[in-house]
Amino acid sequence: MKNKKLMFWIIVALVIVAVVAIVKKPTKLGLDLVGGSRIVLEAQTTDTIAKITPDMMNSLQFAIENRVNALGVAETLVQQTGEKRLLVEIPSISDPAKAKEFLGETAELEFKKPLDNSDGATGWAPTGLTGKDVKKALISTNPGGQWVVSLEFNDKGTKKFGKLTQELVGKPMAIFFNGDLQSAPVIQEPILGGHAQISGGDTGFAYEEAKKMVDLLNAGALPVPAKIIEESLVGPTLGADSIAKSKTAGIIGIGLVMIFMLLYYRLPGFIADIALIIYSILVFAIFKVVPVTLTLAGIAGFILSIGMAVDANILIFERTKEELKAGRTLFTAINAGFDRAFTSIFDSNMTTIITCVILYFLGTSIIKGFALTLVIGVIVSMFTAITVTKNFMHLLFGAGQLKHPGWFGIKQSEIGKAYEATETKKEKAKFGILD
Amino acid sequence: MSETVLHQHKWIDVVKYRWVWFGLSLLLIVPGIIAMIYSTITYPTHFPVKVGIDFTGGTITQYTVSKDVSNNEVEKIRTNLIKAGIENPVIQILKSNNAISKAENIKPTTVISVKTAFKSNDIKAEQKIGESIKADYPDATLVQVSSIGPSLGKELFVNSLYALALAFLGIVVYLSFRFQLDYAVIALVSLAHDALFVLGFFSILGIFFDVHIDALFITAVLTVIGFSNHDTIVVFDRIRENCRFLTKKATFPEIVNASVNQTLARSINTSLTTLITLAALYIFGGETTKDFVLAMIVGIAIGTYSSIFFASTLLDWWRERKEAQKNSPVAKKQTETAKV
Repeated sequence: MKNKKLMFWIIVALVIVAVVAIVKKPTKLGLDLVGGSRIVLEAQTTDTIAKITPDMMNSLQFAIENRVNALGVAETLVQQTGEKRLLVEIPSISDPAKAKEFLGETAELEFKKPLDNSDGATGWAPTGLTGKDVKKALISTNPGGQWVVSLEFNDKGTKKFGKLTQELVGKPMAIFFNGDLQSAPVIQEPILGGHAQISGGDTGFAYEEAKKMVDLLNAGALPVPAKIIEESLVGPTLGADSIAKSKTAGIIGIGLVMIFMLLYYRLPGFIADIALIIYSILVFAIFKVVPVTLTLAGIAGFILSIGMAVDANILIFERTKEELKAGRTLFTAINAGFDRAFTSIFDSNMTTIITCVILYFLGTSIIKGFALTLVIGVIVSMFTAITVTKNFMHLLFGAGQLKHPGWFGIKQSEIGKAYEATETKKEKAKFGILD
Repeated sequence: MSETVLHQHKWIDVVKYRWVWFGLSLLLIVPGIIAMIYSTITYPTHFPVKVGIDFTGGTITQYTVSKDVSNNEVEKIRTNLIKAGIENPVIQILKSNNAISKAENIKPTTVISVKTAFKSNDIKAEQKIGESIKADYPDATLVQVSSIGPSLGKELFVNSLYALALAFLGIVVYLSFRFQLDYAVIALVSLAHDALFVLGFFSILGIFFDVHIDALFITAVLTVIGFSNHDTIVVFDRIRENCRFLTKKATFPEIVNASVNQTLARSINTSLTTLITLAALYIFGGETTKDFVLAMIVGIAIGTYSSIFFASTLLDWWRERKEAQKNSPVAKKQTETAKV
């Protein structure tokens, strides 16, 4: 009994922590539920690009999608509109100023060498080594404690860079980003390892500056320059009217489920209702802490996990009822009910978890959101069913014979009729073994 | 003991009527498959269901209004557009800080943005939208009509299918490890049974009621698959457990019958609780999510049916066939020669 009381207080503490998290942390809602910013980008022709082709637009869309993903924003909408425009809708949870900065940059990285000075002109000549040859960019610090951007070249880039540095020993090599000179270190010796560093010149980079460059390099350059031509705040894609209605509907639905549980399972149903409330608080807190951007797809995952959480309780109660009908004492019946329900709860939830993990890592936007909320929900539901429901049942009913069968919604006449009551030893009952 | 455990007069004899269930399943699924084949051949998109703007793209039309339009008015705009014959419009209110119209020297406070599936050269549809919006906002000015690409490309769709196929493989591996291979395969068959029914149902709705599916539909099908699998495993778990305790006292069909009946209350109650929530969402919820909720209602209903009547009886039928093969003269001969 002492253990049970301790567990009870652990649950109470968890709920308090969760409530604090819910109050303190903002809810992150997706574009479909709260809206955000709409940015329209227009592809720009340049000296080298005379006409914007549909192919260019496709690769521009792909590059922009990559960038938005690098921002860590869930479920952004990128659509082509007209012949040379992209419509980008970003949920309001992200900083629109930062998003704007990200979307407009071409992110062109170029390595240049000094012009041949035979005719006296100064300047830089292209080398053919660009951001396309970079495999990965990382942020790090140099021995002087300044922020630098470390580059790792791909195979082709490593060869090009090796050749270039060999050629330029004793001469400077310039690094341009978006057409601006970043630094022009003098090459001391050929670099063959495929690694390079960009320092921000004498003053060095600010952290934000280096971070932005790394993110942009990793997301890839835009195939054509694009300019932001329009920017506005936009309402939710699902329509504000629909969302308000669905909220009320959801509350009505969950209320009805609770009433059903209470009517059908009586006192255990009441415990299930409390477990369900605790469950929702815990899941919601995790959503806020992770944080999960909630979209309707995510909420669908959550609804399914509520279904599974209720199901775990139903499974347990049905098994406990069977045990009680067999004439077992409360303590034994509750334990046996749990143990016997557990294998089905475990196996069904494990397959759900396996599915979710695969969908999360391989699926795209909308499916990812669904898989993430579902997997969180299922894991928490196993915890609440096993700890919360079981603990409360033991605390409320205690041990001994069932004196009020009505509490479980069973009739006195049903008890012992199912099959001959044989008392199971406690140690055995723990493992669900019947005599 | 086995007498009372295995035979209670209230129980449904699922195994006895298995051909009824198999027939019923065929009756439920075949029309949908026919509809899907018909759709794949006849629709310009070559999808088995009618797909909406998320998959096909369409047109974006934007109007400026001098009045401030609150989000609550979206409902009215939507109702009017649907009345005018514009299906599944995506309506968003824009508060612009530097709208396109700035250059034209109009000072709009609000832009009503409507994305629809029609193609931009469809002038009639454009007129309908214009008239419908101007009825409520007389000063609405059309500022933009342009094509808009799909938000869910075919590539994304195909990618998701690969992910799903791999997830199925994961389920089979896990279930054959925890149960047996035939349980796993039948769980998958029953899952396909449910997914096919939902897809077919919406394919038929597409043909007769012009219902288009959106990106959310994919999530609904995933939910159905999750639920169906969960349901089937609970019944199979009971069969597994009963096999352990009762193999010597009962035959496999008896065990299947007992297991289905023992889990019946749970199957119905679990589905009922989920269906209660979904019904509330369908009746009182928003217009834009109705089809999404409907897909889940249909799917969970069929999932419950298949876990009670289809998956368990299919397992029994499969076992019976295997037994019969083992006991057939040819097989007997083989085992005998093997012994020698």
